[in-house]
Amino acid sequence: MDGVSYQRFPRVKIRELKDDFAKFELRDTDASIANALRRVMIAEVPTVAIDLVEIEVNSSVLNDEFIAHRLGLIPLTSGRAMSMRFSRDCDACDGDGQCDYCSVEFHLRAKCINDQTLDVTSKDLISADPSVVPVDFSDSSGFDNSENRGIIIVKLRRGQELHLRAIARKGIGKDHAKWSPAATVTFMYEPDIYINEEMMERLSLEQKRSIVDSSPTRVFDVDEKTGQFVVVDAEAYTYDDEVLKKCESMNLPGLIEIRPKEDSFIFTVETTGAVKASQLVLNAIDILKQKLDAVRLSDDTVEADDQFGELGAHMRGG
Amino acid sequence: MTVQEGNNDTNELGIDKSFLAAPIKSAVDKFQLLPEFLKVRGLVKQHLDSFNYFVSTEIKKIVFANEWIRSKVDERVYLRYSDVRIGEPSMIIDGVTEKLTPHKCRLSDTTYAAPIFVNIEYRGQSQSTETLKKKDVIIGRMPIMLRSKTCVLYKKDEEELASLGECPLDPGGYFIIKGTEKVILIQEQLSKNRIIIDIDKKGCVQASVTSSTAMTKSKTVIKMEKEKIYLYLNQFKSKVPIMVVMKAMGMESDQEVVQMIGRDPRYSALLLPSIEECAKANVYTQQQALDYLEKQVKQLPYPSAPVEKRALSILADIFIANIPVRQQNFRSKCIYVAVMLRRMMEALLNKDAMDDKDYVGNKRLELSGQMLSLLFEDLFKTMNDEVRKTIDAILDKPSRSSRFDISQYIVKDSITVGLERSLSTGNWDVKRFRMHRKGMTQVVARLSYIGTLGHMTKISPQFEKSRKVSGPRALQPSQWGMLCPCDTPEGEACGLVKNLALMTHVTTDEEEGPIVSLCYCLGVEDLELLSGEELHMPNSFLIILNGLILGKHRKPQRFANAMRKLRRAGKIGEFVSIYVNETQRCVYIASDGGRVCRPLVIADKGVSRIKEHHMKELKDGVRNFDSFLREGLIEYLDVNEENNALIALYESEATPETTHIEIEPLTILGVCAGLIPFPHHNQSPRNTYQCAMGKQAMGNIAYNELCRMDTLIYLLVYPQRPLLTTKTIELVGYDKLGAGQNATVAVMSYSGYDIEDAIVMNKSSLDRGFGRCIVMKKMSAISQKYENGTSDRIIRPQRQGYDAERMQILDDDGLAAPGEIIRPHDIYINKESPKVIRGPVTSPAGLSDSDYKPSKQTYKGPEGETAVVDRVALCSDKNNNLCIKYMIRHTRRPEVGDKFSSRHGQKGVCGTIVQQEDFPFSERGICPDLIMNPHGFPSRMTVGKMIELLGSKAGVSSGRFHYGSAFGEPSGHADTVEAISETLVNHGFSYNGKDFLYSGITGMPLQAYIYMGPIYYQKLKHMVLDKMHARGSGPRVMITRQPTEGRSRNGGLRVGEMERDCLIAYGASMLIYERLMISSDPFEVQVCRKCGLLGYYNYKLKKGICSTCKNGDNISTMKLPYACKLLIQELQSMNIVPRLKLTAA
Repeated sequence: MDGVSYQRFPRVKIRELKDDFAKFELRDTDASIANALRRVMIAEVPTVAIDLVEIEVNSSVLNDEFIAHRLGLIPLTSGRAMSMRFSRDCDACDGDGQCDYCSVEFHLRAKCINDQTLDVTSKDLISADPSVVPVDFSDSSGFDNSENRGIIIVKLRRGQELHLRAIARKGIGKDHAKWSPAATVTFMYEPDIYINEEMMERLSLEQKRSIVDSSPTRVFDVDEKTGQFVVVDAEAYTYDDEVLKKCESMNLPGLIEIRPKEDSFIFTVETTGAVKASQLVLNAIDILKQKLDAVRLSDDTVEADDQFGELGAHMRGG
Repeated sequence: MTVQEGNNDTNELGIDKSFLAAPIKSAVDKFQLLPEFLKVRGLVKQHLDSFNYFVSTEIKKIVFANEWIRSKVDERVYLRYSDVRIGEPSMIIDGVTEKLTPHKCRLSDTTYAAPIFVNIEYRGQSQSTETLKKKDVIIGRMPIMLRSKTCVLYKKDEEELASLGECPLDPGGYFIIKGTEKVILIQEQLSKNRIIIDIDKKGCVQASVTSSTAMTKSKTVIKMEKEKIYLYLNQFKSKVPIMVVMKAMGMESDQEVVQMIGRDPRYSALLLPSIEECAKANVYTQQQALDYLEKQVKQLPYPSAPVEKRALSILADIFIANIPVRQQNFRSKCIYVAVMLRRMMEALLNKDAMDDKDYVGNKRLELSGQMLSLLFEDLFKTMNDEVRKTIDAILDKPSRSSRFDISQYIVKDSITVGLERSLSTGNWDVKRFRMHRKGMTQVVARLSYIGTLGHMTKISPQFEKSRKVSGPRALQPSQWGMLCPCDTPEGEACGLVKNLALMTHVTTDEEEGPIVSLCYCLGVEDLELLSGEELHMPNSFLIILNGLILGKHRKPQRFANAMRKLRRAGKIGEFVSIYVNETQRCVYIASDGGRVCRPLVIADKGVSRIKEHHMKELKDGVRNFDSFLREGLIEYLDVNEENNALIALYESEATPETTHIEIEPLTILGVCAGLIPFPHHNQSPRNTYQCAMGKQAMGNIAYNELCRMDTLIYLLVYPQRPLLTTKTIELVGYDKLGAGQNATVAVMSYSGYDIEDAIVMNKSSLDRGFGRCIVMKKMSAISQKYENGTSDRIIRPQRQGYDAERMQILDDDGLAAPGEIIRPHDIYINKESPKVIRGPVTSPAGLSDSDYKPSKQTYKGPEGETAVVDRVALCSDKNNNLCIKYMIRHTRRPEVGDKFSSRHGQKGVCGTIVQQEDFPFSERGICPDLIMNPHGFPSRMTVGKMIELLGSKAGVSSGRFHYGSAFGEPSGHADTVEAISETLVNHGFSYNGKDFLYSGITGMPLQAYIYMGPIYYQKLKHMVLDKMHARGSGPRVMITRQPTEGRSRNGGLRVGEMERDCLIAYGASMLIYERLMISSDPFEVQVCRKCGLLGYYNYKLKKGICSTCKNGDNISTMKLPYACKLLIQELQSMNIVPRLKLTAA
C-alpha cells in the first residue's frame, strides 16, 4: 500500500484555440490518460440533440423517419447540457421528457407557396429555450454568409408542407452519435527527430534534397543559402518511415532517427459547434474526474482495495 | 500535307523516305462515340427496334398474308383487310376512350395496350354487288412496349417524362400487363435456314438444316451412316437413301450428282456406297424413286390430301423448306442438297470443317418483336377462322331475320386476351408450329436500377439448363465485343444465360429482293444457268444469301468489296453482312434478323477514317453517330464478317493490314460488369460474382420510386455515387441512381468478429446513416362485389370496446391513415362482408348490420418491429371492384448479420458493431466506417479492390472523381496506380495508401501501417430481420401433427437425416427419442397384443378396446409418432395389414 507514488503532473500547452477548434500539447503523462481524454470527448461529454419528433403534417418527399433522423443530427448549442438532467433520471417529469430540466421543445413550420423550391433548414427550427438553438456556423468563419442558411433538412416544392414539434434531450455520444460534441478528436505522439549532423555534413545537396523529397509531408527542408538540412515541421511527420527507408536505401542507416516521445501528445479537437472546443476539453476532464470519483468513493472499504489493489492506493493519492 | 512537302527536302538528308511517307499515327480519342452511340440507340434498343419493326412492318405483312376471309358456303361473301395500324395507347371505359400512360397502368393494374385498327372491305349480303368499306375497325388491343414508336413516351424529354410520372433514366423495352412490368427475354437459338455440319450422338457426321419460312418449319438431316448417306425427315417413316431422294427430284443421272458435288475423286469414293445402295434398291428413274418414297411416307391418321402425290409434295414443301420450288423445278433444291453433301464430305475428310454450334455466328437472338409476331399471327389466323366459321354457320341457316353484316362478326377479344395471357404467363403456345415454350417473359427486376438494366440485356438459352455439358457454357472467342464475358449466373445456368455487351446491336429482318438483284448486277452467275460441273470450279465462289444459293462469282473478293462499299455508302442496309469464307469457297451475305453485330471504326491500310476534325464536329454537335455511319467512317460488323476483318484495339497498334479499329475496349463488357472499377485487375470469377450481386444491391430504383406501388422495394436512405467511377457508370446513369455508399475501409484485423469475411462496423457511422435502408411492402385488399348485388363494406372503426386498441390507426373511413405507425396484429381495413353472397337477398331494403360478418385485414409483420403506413391508394380493378393498396414502410439500420459487398465480388456480413471511440484513428482524425479482414485478399486476388481504395483515397483528397474503366489505362479512362500514388503523396498521404493508425482502445500506435481508404460498398437485400427465426412450441401440420415447416409458418427447426445420423453414431439415443418423438408428434395408441392392430380407448369403460377382436383383453398402451400411426392406417386402407408385434420390455 505505501509504495511508490505514481502520480504525475501533466501539463497542457494550448497552441491554437478557436470556437470549434483547439490544438494543444499534453505532456508528462502516458497514452492511457491521453486516450481516456479522447474517448470521453467523443463519447461521454453530454450535449443536447433532438430525440423525439412529433410530425403533424409532412407532405415533403422525405418520409417521417428520414426527417426525424436528419433533425437528430443537427448540432444544438449545448452549453447548458452539463447542468441539465438526463430525461431518464429526471424526477420533475418522471422521465417523459416534457420539463425544462431535461428537455427543450422545438417547432418547425414550413410551407412552400411559390414555384421556387424552399429549403427548410436548421434555422427554421424555433426553440423554446434561447440557450439551446441550432448551431450557427455563419459568424465564426470569416466568409460572407449571405447564402449560408444553416443545415438543410428538406426541400419543399409548391404546395408541400412540413409541420412538426421536436423535443431535444440531453444525451451522450455513446448512445447515439448525434450527441457526440466532437467532430474530430485525435492525438499524435510528438516525434523526436534526431539527425546525425556528422553524417549529414558529408552528403551532397542533391542527396539532401532527395531525402527531403522522400517524405510525403514536408517535415524537412534544405536551407537555400547555407545548404543546411533542417527540420521544418516535426509534427507534419506521419510516422510513415519513408525518410528512414530512404536513408536505408542510400546506405546511410542512422542518419536520421525518429522516435515518438512516449509522454507527449499533440491533441487536435474539432467540435460540431455544440460546445466550444475549450469547453469540450474542460467538460471531458470534469467527466473523467467524475468517473474516477465513482471509483474513489468506495476507496476506504476493504473490498475496494481487494478489487483495485495498487490502483486503489494510487487513487487515494498515495 | 506538310509532311509531304517536307519529304522532298529531306530526301537528300538520307532519311528513309517510306518512313516519312507513312501515314501519321495520331490517336484520336474516339471515346465520345460511345455516349453518342448510346444516345442514339439507348441501352435496350434491340428490344425497341424489334418491336418497332413488328409494329410498323411485320404486322402489315401478317395481315396481308391473311387478308381474305371468304365464306365457304357463299363464295361471294367475303371480308378483306386493306390496312392495319396500331393506335395510341388507350382504353375504353364506359364507352369513352381514355388515353393511357404507363404509370397510370402500373398503379391501376391495367394493361398498357393500344387498339389495333384495320380498314376492311367486305361484301355483306350475297345478293348485293357493292363492296362496303369500313375504316378503323378495332380487332383487338396490342400491349405496347414502353418507349417504342407507339408508346406515349416516344421521344419525350426529361420534363415531359416527369410530368407523365416516368423516370427519365428508365430504359423502357418492357410491357405493362395487368399492372406488372414484363420483359420478353432475348431468346438464343441456332440460326435457321443454314447448313450446320456436326456429329450426332453415335458419332456420325450429319448436315442439318432447320428451315423456317412463313408457312412451314421443318428440320432436314442428312447423315452418313455406315458409309452410306441417308435423309432423315419427320414425314418419312424411316431414313431414306439420299440418292433416291436426288432421283426423285429429277437427278436421274448419277454422273450429274457426282459433278454437282465436285469431281474430286475422294468425294466420289465417299458417295459410291450410296449410289450402289440406290441401284440395289432398283431405283433408276424419277418415277421409281417417287414410288419408293411413297412407301416411306408416314400415314396420317386422317388422310386428307390425295394419297398418291404425297412424296413429291413433301419434297417440294417440307424437305429443306427454305428453298422454294417453283413450277416443279427442283434444280435449286438439288444443288442445295449437293452443297450439303459436299460440305459433309469435306467434314469427313477434314475434321476442321465441322461447324461449331456454340459459335456466336451460328446463333440468332429472337427478340420481343419476333416473339410477338409469332403469337399475333397465330391469334389473327384463329380469329379469322372463327369469323369464317360463324358466318358459314349463319349463312347455312335458311332464314335470317336481320340484315347480314360480316363486319359485325370480328371478335376483338381473342387477340387481346391471347396476347395478354401469353405475356403475363410467359407461355408461348403456337399450335401450328407445335411450339410450347415456357418462361418467355419475366417480371422486370426492380431491386436496383442496374438489375433492371441487366434484366433487359439478359439472353435466355435454347437448351434446358440441366444438361451437364461444358461446350455451350464455355466462353466463346467469338463472343468478343458482342456478349459480356463476365455477366453470367453461377450454378446450373452458368454460361448458358448470357448478357449483351454495351455496344451490341441485334439486327431485324431486311428485305432480300434488292440485295438479290444487286448481287446479279455485280456479276453473280445465276444458278439456273450453271451446269453441275461449273458449280464448284476451282476459281469461283458460291454466293449464298440468307442460306439461299444465288449463284457463283469468279472474283469473290472484288464482289465482297463492292458490296461493302455499297453498304458503307448506305445503298444497302447497314446491317447486311458480307462474309467471304475461303475454306468453304463461299460468300455469305446475311440480312436476316437476330444476328448480333457491333460498330467498328473503318481503317484504310491501318489508318482510321475518323480524324480529329470529325470528333471535334461531334463535340460541337454538328455530327451524330448516324452521320458517322452514313459517311462510311463506322460500320456494323456481325460475328461472321468479323472473320474477314483485322481489328486493331488501338489506332497506334494498327498495321497496314488492319481493316478496323475498336471504338473502346471497355465495351466488351456489359452493363453490370461495367460498374466494376479496374475489372481487368481482378480474378475473373470475382467479376462474375459482382455481376450477380450488383443486382441485389439496394439503392435508388428510379426517379419515380416513391410513386410506384411494387410489391417490395428496397431503398437506401443516403445512396451515393461511387468515388471511383467508370465510363460505363456515367453512360448508364449509375451515378444518378447509385446503389451503395463510399465507406472508409481499414484493411486490418479487429476483435475476432471479422473472420470468414465478416466486417466490423463503426456504430457512429451507422448512427449517421450509413447503410440505413427503407423497405416498402405492398398490401392490398379488394372490396368485393358479389353476384347477388351485395358487396363488402368498409365501416367506421369502433373507438371503444373489443378490438378498439387494434383499430387505433384507422381513420373514420375505416382505412389506416398514411403516417400511422402500424404494429403486428393491427387492423388496417375495417371491412365487413355479407353473410349471404349467393342467391336472393333476404331483405329487399338492403342489408342490416347483422347481415354482415367482419372480415378485417390485420397486419402481419415481424413481432416487435414497427412499420409505418406510407401510402394508401384506391383504384378500381378489372371487375370494377374497389381495390385498396397500402405501402408499408420500414426503416432499418444495419445490424449484425446484414450482408454487404464491395464491387469486387467480396461479400460479407456485419460481424459486430463497435463504438467509434474503440475504432482505430489516424493522427488526422480519420476513423474508418468499417474494418475488413485482410485475409479476404490473398485467395480472392481482387487487386481491383485495392486499386479502388487507392483511387478513391486520391479522389477524396484531390476532389476529383477518379476513373477505373475496364482496360482504360492506355486510353486514359482509368487512372494508373503511379498517377494515383502521386496524387496521394501530394496530399500528404503515403504513396502506398497505408496510414499510421492508433488503437482506439489503448491509444497506442498499431503495430503495422494500415491500408485505409474509401471503397464503394453495397448493401445487399439479404437482411437478418427477414431471415432470423426460432421457435419453441408452435403450430403443427394438421395431417401429421408434426411441427410446421418454414419461417413464414413459424415452423420448427428440423433434425434432418444427417443430423440424425450423427446422433446415432454418437449413441445419443435419448436425444433422438426426444427430438424425433417427444418434441415432434407423440401419440398414445392402443395396440392389441393378439392381432397386432390398433384399437381405441373407450372413455366410458376406461380401457382400450381392440376393434378387430371386439374386446379389451389383450390391449397394451404405447407411444408412437403420429405419422407412424397414420402410415399404419393408410396402409390398411390400401389392403395392406401392418401388424405390431409387442414383446415385454
